[in-house]
Amino acid sequence: MKNTIRQVFHSPKFVVGFVIFALMLLMVIIYPIISPGDPLQMISKGSFLKPGVYFSVYDSINTNSKTIDLPEANQKRLANKLSDTDKVSMVQWLTAAGVPAEDIDMEDTTSLIKLWNEKYDPTVKPEGMTMAQRNFYKRLDKSLDNILNEQPLVVSAQNQETQTLDEIKRISDTDYVNLKDVPNVKVLPLGTDNFGDDVLKKLVSATKTSLLIGLIAGSIATLIGLTLGLLAGYLGGFIDDFIMFITNLFTVIPSFVLLILISYSIGQDKRGASTVAIVIGITSWVWTTRSVRSQVISLRNRDHVNLSKLSGHSLTSIIIKDILPYIASYVVMAFILQISTAILAEASLSMIGLGPKTADVSTLGLMMDWAMSYSAHLNGAWWAYFPVILVIALISFSLNLMNTGLDQVFNPTLRD
Amino acid sequence: MKKNVKRFLSLLLTLVMVLSMLTACKSNKTDDTSTKDTATPTVEATDTPTAEPTEEAVSPGGELPRNETLYYGGLQWGAVNGWNPLSDDMNNALAITQAGGGSRTPMFETLYMYNMLDDSMTPLLADGDYQWNADRTEITVKIKSAAKWSDGTAVTADDVAYTFDTDVKVKNGQGVALAPYIESVTAVDPSTVLIKAKLDDNGKAVNPLLVVAYLGQTYVIQKAWIQKVEARCNNDPAAIKKDAGEDVVYSGPYHNFYNDDQKVVLIRDDNYWGQDASMWGKLPAPKYLCHTIYADNPATEVAFKAGEVDVDQQFIPNIQDLWEKEGLPISTYLQDAPYGICVNMPTAWYNMDNPLLQNVSIRKAIAMAVDYDAINANAMTGQSPTFKDVPRSVMNPTDGEQAKYDKDAVKDLQWTGSDVEGAKKLLDDAGIVDKDGDGIRELDGKKLSFVAACPDGWTDWQAAIEIVAAAGKNIGIDITTQYPQADVFQSTVTSKKQTEYDIFMMWTDSAGPTQPWGRLRMLTSSEYNGVDNNWAGNWGHYSNKRMDEIIKAIPGESDPAKQKEYYTEAVKIYLTDVPSFSLMYRPDQFHAVNESVWTNYPENGDGNNIPPLVLLNGYSIAGLYKIDLVK
Repeated sequence: MKNTIRQVFHSPKFVVGFVIFALMLLMVIIYPIISPGDPLQMISKGSFLKPGVYFSVYDSINTNSKTIDLPEANQKRLANKLSDTDKVSMVQWLTAAGVPAEDIDMEDTTSLIKLWNEKYDPTVKPEGMTMAQRNFYKRLDKSLDNILNEQPLVVSAQNQETQTLDEIKRISDTDYVNLKDVPNVKVLPLGTDNFGDDVLKKLVSATKTSLLIGLIAGSIATLIGLTLGLLAGYLGGFIDDFIMFITNLFTVIPSFVLLILISYSIGQDKRGASTVAIVIGITSWVWTTRSVRSQVISLRNRDHVNLSKLSGHSLTSIIIKDILPYIASYVVMAFILQISTAILAEASLSMIGLGPKTADVSTLGLMMDWAMSYSAHLNGAWWAYFPVILVIALISFSLNLMNTGLDQVFNPTLRD
Repeated sequence: MKKNVKRFLSLLLTLVMVLSMLTACKSNKTDDTSTKDTATPTVEATDTPTAEPTEEAVSPGGELPRNETLYYGGLQWGAVNGWNPLSDDMNNALAITQAGGGSRTPMFETLYMYNMLDDSMTPLLADGDYQWNADRTEITVKIKSAAKWSDGTAVTADDVAYTFDTDVKVKNGQGVALAPYIESVTAVDPSTVLIKAKLDDNGKAVNPLLVVAYLGQTYVIQKAWIQKVEARCNNDPAAIKKDAGEDVVYSGPYHNFYNDDQKVVLIRDDNYWGQDASMWGKLPAPKYLCHTIYADNPATEVAFKAGEVDVDQQFIPNIQDLWEKEGLPISTYLQDAPYGICVNMPTAWYNMDNPLLQNVSIRKAIAMAVDYDAINANAMTGQSPTFKDVPRSVMNPTDGEQAKYDKDAVKDLQWTGSDVEGAKKLLDDAGIVDKDGDGIRELDGKKLSFVAACPDGWTDWQAAIEIVAAAGKNIGIDITTQYPQADVFQSTVTSKKQTEYDIFMMWTDSAGPTQPWGRLRMLTSSEYNGVDNNWAGNWGHYSNKRMDEIIKAIPGESDPAKQKEYYTEAVKIYLTDVPSFSLMYRPDQFHAVNESVWTNYPENGDGNNIPPLVLLNGYSIAGLYKIDLVK
């Protein structure tokens, strides 16, 4: 046994797969500890917040500020509001409004903005300009408000009694706060999704659910497949025919169709994660049965089995002691593949709206389903679906890699 | 050696895959910018692939000249069944849609066009304003002398009268809806129509509002054509309603050019009577109206972004990203949130057939706990005024309707949501507590466990229902969500009695000449209880005697002060009993336009007073005469 394990861990493929899988498991276990909280809590108002660090504007105003004089600060501020293409558009509008070309200096941003503030009139509808273009200029104009204003900004609060605005603080353009001093900082490494949930937190919890579904479904499928395969292969005769008849029936019906039908008939109210796992498990045992049976048939007439039979060992004892060890490696590999298939099956099911309940758990498939319904893929909100795809890919990649690695160790014909 | 080759190959393959993924991401972006100025016509299956796209050579089903065609999206799903306006199931969104908030009139026309912006009626086939008699029991309408059918004959009062009689006789949607309120429509002379309202015991009109609604809602169909259909159907109402009406005579500016399961194309009738100075004075700008039939909303959205759809009627999440981030030439009626005129109120209804939901504390608690801001921000992505901006009542957010009730009188009843503690307290006080410690409260030994449902694929509704379910979780009420197919959902909800869904989402009436009365009736009137195949309202089977009295009294009341009193009392009852609760305000039609080819669409404050209803509904059709090609 020890030797086998050492052998297994010498296979580079297995090791790579194992490491990826172990990392994912670690992540699933550790991340909820360092970032506790309900993964289904809608933290943001407004969907698909970009990944990044969010810190409270309210708190940062109340945090002690330091003065830092950066030479580039104003230019950066300008460039953030006003790109080169925006400047070209401004020049176009000004020209269309009849400002002589020699008065416009695109290089000198400050004078351009001043000219703009002077000439721009949002109510004018230049000939041939579409609503979209006019709206663009209105937005641009709005974003340029106060851009040249070097006066400090005044923050004020409304006095409850007099309803007047009382000044609280003046903020100048050289004021900075240390992010560490701001009490409320929320890091959203993967932004939020359509419900305003933290995607990373949800992803970790979804990975856990999906792994669990995979594990349950894989165990069920392997158990059924193994039992039927062993019985059919070892006993033969009528029982073999009968089991193979059922197996063939299931082989002919595409298992995914079966999966859809069963999931649909269960109804969403009863479709928890474990139910989905069980449904997947009982629809995907067929190939395990077939291959276990064929392996057992070749083992059935080996000498040691016949010896056991002659010695009067019971059926269960022969199967467990004399046959199972020979196919154990195969069963383990099949089990790994079953897990991977089950995770994919759950994802596919949830994608077509037949997965577990959204309000209860998050699964990888459900995350994809909602990202798709809210057309995250069309709106460039990659963080809502790409990490999910990556996790699904990594899970099945690592499991398959482990499987191939094991295959190389156990199958002499594949050895280097 | 062999192995190395294999390894190399696999490496190469991986590289190719990664690269292709990267380029896929990239090309998406370049597509967006390139479509900005190149408006490519939709490529469709053409019967004549060699046909030149010149004006003369356009064959039905052939490629349409892009700069003469206005492309629609989000209205038509599946192939049309026919062109018979007497039928209710032609599945013909562009040509046949009759609704109280303004019917679509590109092919068939109504007497008046309703305008939700100022609640006015603009004459279409009619000439001048309609006249009530002194008792408000009869309306007289004149017919425009210029109005002509497509076969050149004049539109007469006889056509109007005969259409109404036929609608009633064949019991189609219009006939069934209006017969209880309109006694008769008769022709006084060829150009004068007299509409008599049904009278109640006191000699007053049963419902004058619905008589007015008729003017902007019901198509006028040619008598001669109806008689032709009647003759070929042997006067069998069912057969008349099944007739596909391919030979139909129409009065509108467009008619059938080509349709299959890929697209529907209407072509302009250049002899349209409306070019007469007494109507529009010109023809509508696009020669063709085309609606490509897309598989689903995302497919439409892709086409819309690419400039293959000009006017799109669909919910697009975070629509502002289309112009702010992607710089596409796309606009909505309002430049800022909520981007449209929200007149509809998708509502979650409680199924009163469930004994647990007959408990008002439970109904109110769930409604109080729901996070409406999250629905607004996340489900509607901000495309709706919040319930803080527009406190809940039975009125939509337009100023006209908001003025119809006394806000201060119901202030204490209007909840704004997210009030988990308040909801918990309400339940605790009512003795509805969790006795067995499983986190779910019980009433009379029964667990508070409900099913909330809405149709599958209605994204914003589904997200809203999820948020309702989350609210239940917060206050110890188990709510599971279900998304059946739309037809299954609707046939369940409209049945006489159902036990499948405890909380379900349905729409309410939008703006219209009968509003907000019509919406109040829809939300609360017990007249619909026990009616099978009930599409009219009160799907939760709520019943309140006083409410029924108010609903009966309002239409006949001409004194605005008294009306306001009624409405205020109705809102009070509605907010106290909570038979349903609105989840959001939503436009009647989503209206987003891509200005790659056409421009000068209606926009807020342009002085044209054209409502943003995809240039089709009611007075919105005036937009077709205003739009222009982009220069």
